[in-house]
Amino acid sequence: MVDQKELIDAVKETISREDVRYIVGYEKGTFGFETAPSFAYTSDDAGKFIFNPLCTKNLVVYPILEEKLPLKREEQVDDRKIGIVVKGCDSRAVVQILQEKGLKRENLVLIGIPCTGVIDTKKIKNKFPNQTEYTDVKEDKNHYVFSIEDSVQKIPKEELLADVCKECEYPNPVIYDIMIGEEIEVDTEPTYNKVREFEEKTLSEKWEYWEKHFENCIRCYACREACPLCYCKTCMADLLDPQWIRRSVNLSENTAWNIMRAFHLAGRCVSCGECERACPAEIPLMKLNKMLEKEIKESFDYTAGLDPEEKTLFGTFNPDDPEEFIM
Amino acid sequence: MEDFEPKIIGFLCNWCSYAGADLAGTSRIQYPANIRIIRVMCSGRINPMFVVNALQQGADGVLIGGCHPGDCHYQHGNYQARRRITVMKKLLEFLGIDPDRVRMTWVSAAEGRKFADVIKEVTEDVKKLGPIKQIRRKNEW
Repeated sequence: MVDQKELIDAVKETISREDVRYIVGYEKGTFGFETAPSFAYTSDDAGKFIFNPLCTKNLVVYPILEEKLPLKREEQVDDRKIGIVVKGCDSRAVVQILQEKGLKRENLVLIGIPCTGVIDTKKIKNKFPNQTEYTDVKEDKNHYVFSIEDSVQKIPKEELLADVCKECEYPNPVIYDIMIGEEIEVDTEPTYNKVREFEEKTLSEKWEYWEKHFENCIRCYACREACPLCYCKTCMADLLDPQWIRRSVNLSENTAWNIMRAFHLAGRCVSCGECERACPAEIPLMKLNKMLEKEIKESFDYTAGLDPEEKTLFGTFNPDDPEEFIM
Repeated sequence: MEDFEPKIIGFLCNWCSYAGADLAGTSRIQYPANIRIIRVMCSGRINPMFVVNALQQGADGVLIGGCHPGDCHYQHGNYQARRRITVMKKLLEFLGIDPDRVRMTWVSAAEGRKFADVIKEVTEDVKKLGPIKQIRRKNEW
């Protein structure tokens, strides 16, 4: 459990530095079990920062989403640092972006938080559908504790933990400037049981499953917007010339979009689960990402987001890569 | 599906596979006419979305031809293509699209005979699989 005071003090200290522009963190949401991103520009803003198992969002999207307006006359570029509160998976997203040179390390201040897993907000909302006010959730060993309608609820962690967090290998930030709390010891090895189970099915069974889900896709591109690694200035899906996928929402184009999204994250996805969380059609996108992660680990011995100096998966090659399928 | 003739798109690299196809032609080796060849400068030029687009627009199979490992005109284009297509095939299989519809081959400029054999094999395989149902684009509105 992260000490609230320690977090606020660290944010206050960082924002008082002259070379820091703002810090992105979490604050209380306005509805149900949602937390909201919070921006601290002065040390007074730091007071509202929180961290609890409801802080699901990956805040690494913000330095990239930031709109860069054209400069006014005689205006200088504001190249002060941006601070981000990062969990284990978020820090891996930072590493992956640094690897691809999308951001510069000297422009970031990372406040790392060792994370014991976040709550799947869909699961908790199904349990308490009538909760409209923000509820603070505390973690107590293997239970989540929170009070609803004057009664204290104690629910086992297993029931509410997000699926991606169950097999998390890197709960500690791999890159950080300030660490809050103590590092967690990890002994979980990813088993990829769900993926393996699905791979046993026949081709037609697999397609039946995905057809059902892709037909529901409304192509809102929420998966792309929520993903910290989908940061191309112009996405291939938005291009009109050449038009890679058409605008119409039908099974063929939806499948093409989902293949494209999954492929562009192959060897880059850090399994934060934001795409699946953002999806309004509840498409199991993490299943695709996890499967690619597993295959890439097995075939190329590569894991995304660990070393900023490493080369990207498709930017490099090994002459001894597997090639059984080549005629 | 006795009389089903598949359409196969072949992306062949300019320096090896395309020249191999040329040699097959000038040597008058017979091979099935199901393949439609698109010449690219290197197999590393092939964006895996080309494959998806071909399958969407009516191809039943896709063949990618490059130089043998180590022979690439651009040093390592074929190695990078190999990685991409490996991952793409895995992804297609996971989605329930038969990965045998996407094939990759190394054909050098001197291997006209091999090129003809590869085309024969691919055509037979895709013929057995039948027309693609999953992601074919339906032009109706």
